[in-house]
Amino acid sequence: MTDKKNFYFAKSHEWLSNYSNNDYSLGISDFAQSELGDVVYIQLPQAGKQYKKGEKIGEIESVKSVSEIYAPVDLTVKNINSNLNETPELINNDPYGKGLIAKVELHNPSDLSLLMDNNSYELFVKSNHE
Amino acid sequence: MNNKNVNINENENKKTPLYDKHLALGAKIVSFAGFYMPLYYKSIIDEHLNVRNHSGLFDISHMGEIIVKGRDAGPFLDFVLTADVSSIFPNTIAYSLILNENGGVIDDLTVYKFSNESYMIVANAANTKKDFAWIHTQMINLQKSKLQDQSKFQDLTVENYSDKIGLLSVQGPKSRNIIYPLAEDISDNYDKSKNNFCNIFNFQYNIKPFKELSHFEFSCIKFKEINIEAVISRSGYTGEFGFEIFVSADDVNKLWDYILDNKELSNLMPVGLGARDTLRFEAALPLYGHELDETITPYDAGLEKYLSKNKDFIGKEALEKVKNKEKKLIFFKLAGKQIPRHMQKILDENLKPIGCVASGTYSPLNKMPIGSAYISDSNVIPSSLKNFYIDIRGNFEKAEVVNPPFHKMKK
Repeated sequence: MTDKKNFYFAKSHEWLSNYSNNDYSLGISDFAQSELGDVVYIQLPQAGKQYKKGEKIGEIESVKSVSEIYAPVDLTVKNINSNLNETPELINNDPYGKGLIAKVELHNPSDLSLLMDNNSYELFVKSNHE
Repeated sequence: MNNKNVNINENENKKTPLYDKHLALGAKIVSFAGFYMPLYYKSIIDEHLNVRNHSGLFDISHMGEIIVKGRDAGPFLDFVLTADVSSIFPNTIAYSLILNENGGVIDDLTVYKFSNESYMIVANAANTKKDFAWIHTQMINLQKSKLQDQSKFQDLTVENYSDKIGLLSVQGPKSRNIIYPLAEDISDNYDKSKNNFCNIFNFQYNIKPFKELSHFEFSCIKFKEINIEAVISRSGYTGEFGFEIFVSADDVNKLWDYILDNKELSNLMPVGLGARDTLRFEAALPLYGHELDETITPYDAGLEKYLSKNKDFIGKEALEKVKNKEKKLIFFKLAGKQIPRHMQKILDENLKPIGCVASGTYSPLNKMPIGSAYISDSNVIPSSLKNFYIDIRGNFEKAEVVNPPFHKMKK
């Protein structure tokens, strides 16, 4: 189990996790991947591009459905996880690790206060989906 | 992330008797054809491949069973359905279409002939109510009609048994390994002239040893230990060897557990509707609502071989006039990774729309997106379609025509 103490979650099920200074990893939650089922394709965001909070940064496609991925806060994409092009199932197998979608830089780290910590997110998922 | 395909309609949805079993197995539940059904337990892809390589257990109790009984049942079904039903042998199944007066497809279904006086129609879940209402109305109309011989169609009953029946399907090359040891013929003394009574449907049937069943044949059996009577057919919707098993709705939980308790016999796992769809599509089997609906004729769908030439049936007259196809069903694969979806546009090399996607999915066996589409020009020769594209949410993805099916059963 990944320790998710330093993870921040959006209501749209993306997560951010700090790894140095203003740099964060971005992915989708375990709940999100389990709702999607087998991921067979991901349209990754563009490296170097700036996205506004709530803007679509990519698409995830599973056998049965298509979902959009949104920027949880204003950010710039630094690197994308291009391994996902060949092995999109990493999102199912390791959503908080090898299945991360991109490394991003936050424009305003204070925006994180608008997101949920792990406990709040788990309660959010419970109250909305059970 | 915003999942667009979650579609749980809280109103009027039914559950099969196995709903709690699905929950306990951790199934992802979706609304399908008015039922809460398992989409998958762990993974559509794993479940799909397990059926292709070993075996899988499906709850398909949502499907409808309509029982037609009486001396006039055969002639009646011959008129309502496109296939020759009355002339098939007892213990065999016919695939048939049921058409409206315009030749549009009301449903595609299978008909089980128990005897000259008793038949079971197995209908798509989403269409069962509609089919039953249609068949019942045809019966009333025929009984009232002055054109008909008064004696005709009087000895006839049509009953919807759907809520009384549980239906399981065991599919895959290893299905025998689990069904043979768990089941036995009801009587060991085969007297072919003797009829037995089937308690599930309350009528007579002919005995046939179940291990001798060919594809599209059925018999009655008993499951050992749990002592449950069942109708078992060699049939399915996966393009694999397999069985479909009808039991009383009261017995289906026991049978589900009995099969799962013995799953090592065939490396069996429970399989949801997600893999049922990918399996049927690799086998190029039509799905009502995708390859078939009331605006599509059997000619359009390439199903003209199920239209009997030997008799009159509802829709036949209209079809004689529109014998020219209005559109043509093709199958294709994609070079890219995005999955085509129902109703997306097909574009020719000049990006002019030429048709619509009927079914689109991911092929776990071939590890690529595949699909079917209706092309508006019925004269199109599929192999001549060299450069065409699927408009997948604004991306034009190159497609290539494939001769169906995508998967053939290993002999």
